[in-house]
Order: sequence, then structure tokens, then C-alpha cells
Amino acid sequence: MTDEDLDALLGAPLPELDTTVFSVTLMEAIARRRARPARILAWVMVGLLFATIAAAGVFGGLVANLNVMTDPLAIPAALALLTLLLSYSVLRSARE
Amino acid sequence: MEESALVAGAVARDVAAFSALARLHQSRVRGLLLRLTRGRHALADDLAQETFLEAWRAIANFRGESSFSTWLYRIAYSRFLMHARRRKDEPLEDWQGEAPSGEGAAHARIDLERAMAKLSAPERAALTLCYALGLSNTEAALALDMPLGTVKSHVLRGREKLKAILGDPP
Repeated sequence: MTDEDLDALLGAPLPELDTTVFSVTLMEAIARRRARPARILAWVMVGLLFATIAAAGVFGGLVANLNVMTDPLAIPAALALLTLLLSYSVLRSARE
Repeated sequence: MEESALVAGAVARDVAAFSALARLHQSRVRGLLLRLTRGRHALADDLAQETFLEAWRAIANFRGESSFSTWLYRIAYSRFLMHARRRKDEPLEDWQGEAPSGEGAAHARIDLERAMAKLSAPERAALTLCYALGLSNTEAALALDMPLGTVKSHVLRGREKLKAILGDPP
């Protein structure tokens, strides 16, 4: 094979590939990526909502003079539950 | 619309402008990755998707120091290298593309792809960029993030290997 033959072979343009499906998939991926911050925020808000409801329950219990705070495990358990809820919501939002 | 206007639009986070840029360049980026992955269409398209998503994420960093296509090829090559490092155990030695159909030019192209598959990744990338995609050696050096001399030696060595393989088929 001569240098000229090789040049001609190498210089041939790459085959044109169908662009339609690729473009659609790419635009969908970009749309998902653009929506990601909103999804993360939504899931964090869900976590915060649960935290607020739990805090409201504790506050209601205190106002009603229920002795929820006398149990030494109550506060650690509530904090652990809230942490789990927030972690779960952040995890879900990161996975989407 | 001119490419520079599309790039300016994409930098301003205009999805339509980026979409138009992607349509303009996707065939060549996918072609480069197809050659780098030795004809694996699905893998090449996955890497091309990653390339364009990364380009969309980092478009604000594009300062026009090279052409937009060179910048895309650089992302594509680095994506390919990342994939190759992750899958080091998987031997990728033969062309996996279509079998030859027809005569003459089609056979010559398949022969070239099979011969290309025997070259190292930097050699395949340098030859594809400099010949099929028409980049200068300097632009190819930018795209491959290599010194100019290294690109030239990859091109020379790749050419010699191709001549030996194509001139002496198995």
C-alpha cells in the first residue's frame, strides 16, 4: 500500500450516523438534568415537612402536659427518626 | 445561525442553541468514539451522550481558545479514557462493527477499521482526528491533551502500523 492510498483511506469522512434517536435521548437527558435541582429541593422539602409535623406532635404533647420528655429515649429516638427521614429524602432525590 | 452564535447561546444556557450544536457535531463525535471503542455502537453512543451532557454542564468554561468541535473531541476522548480505565479487564481488541457488505470501498473501509482496531487508543484517536476529522496536529494535541510532538509520533507510528497490517493482510 502506498502513502497516497493510505492517505485516501484515512482521509475518507467517517460514516454519517442517524441523528434522530440520539438527539431525542440527549435532549431528554438534558431535561432530566435541568430538573434535578427542583427534584432535590422537593425531596428535601418532604423531609422538612415530616420534621415539622414531628416537632408539632412533640410540642402538642408538651402543651397537653403529656410526659413525653421524661422518657430518656424519647428525644434521641425522635432525633434519629428525623435524621433517617431527611437522609432518605436526600437519597431519593440524588438517585432520581 | 452561525456556530459562534449558537455557542454564545449555549453559554447563556439556551437549550435550543445547545441542541442545534449537538445536532451539528454529534455524528463526528460518535464516529470518533465508534473508532475508539472498536466498533461498539452502543458503548460509543453511551459515551457520546456522556460527552454532550458534560459539555452542557461545563459550557460556561468554554472560552473559545479552541474551536467548539476540538473542545468536544477533548471531552469525548477523556470520557473514553475514563471508561477504558474502569474496564481495564475487558479486552477490546477486534473491530465489532458491521460485516462488509458490497464491494470495493465498503470492503476497504471495513479493512481499515479492522486494522485500526489493532492500534493503541492514542494512535487511533490521533489518526482519526488528523485525517477523518481534518484537525491540524496542533488542534489534535489540544483535543488529546498531549504535547504536539507526541501527537506527531502517534500519527507516524499509527501510519506505519496500518501500512504493515493493510499491506500484509492475515
